[in-house]
Amino acid sequence: MTEQLIDIPVETVVVRPRRRVRKSVLPIIGGTLLLCMLLFVIIVPLLPGVDPLAQDLSHANLPPFTDSAHLLGTDSLGRDTLSRIAQGGRTTIAITLAIVVINVIIGATIGLLAGFFGGWIDRLIGLVSDAILSLPVVLLLIAISAIVGPSATLMVVVLGCTFWMGYARVARAVTLSLRGRDFIVAPQILGASASWTIRRHVLPHVVPPVLILAVTDVGVVMLLQAGLDFLGLGVQPPAPTWGGLILQGQPVLSTNPWQSILPGLSIFILVAGTQLLSQRFTAEGSIPLRRARTA
Amino acid sequence: MIRYLVRRLLQGVLTLFCVVTIAFVLGRASGKPAALLLTEGATAQQIDELNGRLGFNRPLGEQYLDYLGGLLRGDFGVSYRNPSAPAITLIAERLPATISLALISFAIGLTVAIGAAILIHITGSTRLRATFVWGGSLRQAMPDFFFGVVLVLILSVGLHALPSLGFTGPLSYVLPVITIATGQFVLYVRLLDSALSEQSTQDYVVTAYARGKSQAAVVVGEMLPNALLPILTMAGMNLAGLLGGTVIVETVFAWPGVGQVLMQAVSTRDFAVVQAGLLVVAIMFVVVNLAVDLLYPVLDPRVRLA
Repeated sequence: MTEQLIDIPVETVVVRPRRRVRKSVLPIIGGTLLLCMLLFVIIVPLLPGVDPLAQDLSHANLPPFTDSAHLLGTDSLGRDTLSRIAQGGRTTIAITLAIVVINVIIGATIGLLAGFFGGWIDRLIGLVSDAILSLPVVLLLIAISAIVGPSATLMVVVLGCTFWMGYARVARAVTLSLRGRDFIVAPQILGASASWTIRRHVLPHVVPPVLILAVTDVGVVMLLQAGLDFLGLGVQPPAPTWGGLILQGQPVLSTNPWQSILPGLSIFILVAGTQLLSQRFTAEGSIPLRRARTA
Repeated sequence: MIRYLVRRLLQGVLTLFCVVTIAFVLGRASGKPAALLLTEGATAQQIDELNGRLGFNRPLGEQYLDYLGGLLRGDFGVSYRNPSAPAITLIAERLPATISLALISFAIGLTVAIGAAILIHITGSTRLRATFVWGGSLRQAMPDFFFGVVLVLILSVGLHALPSLGFTGPLSYVLPVITIATGQFVLYVRLLDSALSEQSTQDYVVTAYARGKSQAAVVVGEMLPNALLPILTMAGMNLAGLLGGTVIVETVFAWPGVGQVLMQAVSTRDFAVVQAGLLVVAIMFVVVNLAVDLLYPVLDPRVRLA
C-alpha cells in the first residue's frame, strides 16, 4: 500500500503575545539619575575654590547663572550655593545611608533570630516591634531633643532604631520558609552550631530580599531625615544639608526663591531615582485591566 | 466578639501605659531637669531650690506614682517655663487647628484617590492608571516641606491668590490641605487599584456582567465595597499619623497647631509641654487604631468569626 500524502492547506497562524514583554527603561533612568547625583556631590567639593562656609557679603543673594564665580548664585551671607548643595548632599546622603544600614543590620538580625528559633523569642520580638510601630517617631525625636538638645547623632540613633520592622518581617518570613529544609536540618544533626548554620545557609537567602527593600527605603528615609533637618532637629548649622538649605531659603522666598528650589530639586532627583531604580524589583503596573466594553 | 473587644481594649491600655512610662523615663533620664532650665551661671543652691519647687528631689518611684495618679485625674503637669499654665491647656488650645487640618486633608486625599481608582477601572485605561500612579509617585518623591514651599511660591508669592502663613480664614486651609492630601494620594490609589484588579477576576463580578450590568455599576456597586476593606487599615494608620505628625507641614505654613507648640517647647527645653503633647498624640493614635479594628468586623462579616 502506498502511502498517500494528503495535502492539507496549512494556514500559518502567527500568535502574537497580547502584550510585548519589554524591559522597562525606567530603572536605567533611575540609576543614571542616582549616579549623576552621586558624582556631583563627590566631585564638586574636591574642586579648587569651593568652600561651602566662606562668606562674602558683597556678593550676597545672587541669582543662579549671573556670576561666573558663583554658578548657582549665593545665599544671604554670600555663601556659594553650588558648593553648599554639593556639601549638603554629602551630609544628607551619608546620614540617610547610615540610618538605612543600621536598620538593615538590626532588622535582619532580629528577623533571623525570630524565624530561626521561634517560640518566645519570636513572640517577644513581635511585641516590641508592635510597640515601636505605634510610637510617632517624629514626636519621639522631638521629645528626646527637648531634653538633650537636637543633634545629628541623636537623629541617626533614633531613626536607626525605629525603622527595622520591615526588614525583620522579611528576614523572618524567609527564614521560616527555610525551616525544616534538608540543608538546614542536616548540619544541625551533624553537630553544627546554630550560628554556623545561620551564617552559612540561612543568611545568603535573607540578604537579597532585605537589600531590595533597603533600596526602596532609601527614598523614604531621605524624605523623613530631610524633614527633620528642615525642623532643625537634625544636623545643626552652619553645616549645610538639603533640608536645612530649604529652611534657610524660606525667609527670602519672594526675593531669591532659588535658595529653596535648588536643594528641594536635589532631594526630588535622588528620591525619584531610588523609586525608579526599585521598579526593577517590583511588578508595578503589570496587572492587566479589564477592558472597558464599548457596547 | 466580646473577648476580642476586651483583648483589643487591654492592648490599647497597655500601649498607652508604655508611652506614659517612656515619657516619664525620658523626662528623668537626663538627671534633674532644673539644671537644664536655669542659665549656665546658676548656683547649686538655685538649682536645688527649683528642683524642690518642681518636686524633683523626691524618690523616683514616688514621682512616678504621683505622675500616673495625676494623669488619671487629667493633670499632665505644669509648664516648666510658665508655672501658671498647665501643660495640657497649652496643648489643648492648639488641638482644634491640628485635628481639623488632619481630618480635612485625610478626607480629601482619600476621596480623590477613590474617585481616581474608580475612573481607572471604569475606563479600563492603562494610560490613565500610569498617569495617576506616576503623577502621585513623583509628588511623593518631593518632601512635603519642599512641595509646600513651591505652592507658597506659586500661589501666594507669585499670584497673590492665597494666604501663605498662619491662619487668617478658611482660605488658609487650601495650601496645607493640598500639600498633605497629594502626599497621601498615591498610597491609596496603588492599594485600591490592586484591590479592584484582584476583585475583577472574581466569579461574582463575571456573574454581574453576565446579568447585563454596566461596567460602571459593577465597579462602583459590586467591586468597590470589597476593595475598600484592605484600605481601611492603611487609612487608619495614616489618619493616626496625621493627627500626630503634621509637625513639618505645620512648620512650613506657620499653622497654629500642636506642632508649633511642641517645636517652641523644644527650643526652650520645656519638657513638661512636650510630654503632654506626646501623650495626647499617643492617645489619639491608640483610639483611631482601635476604632479601625472595631470597625472591621462591622463592615466585613468574615472577620466576625475570627
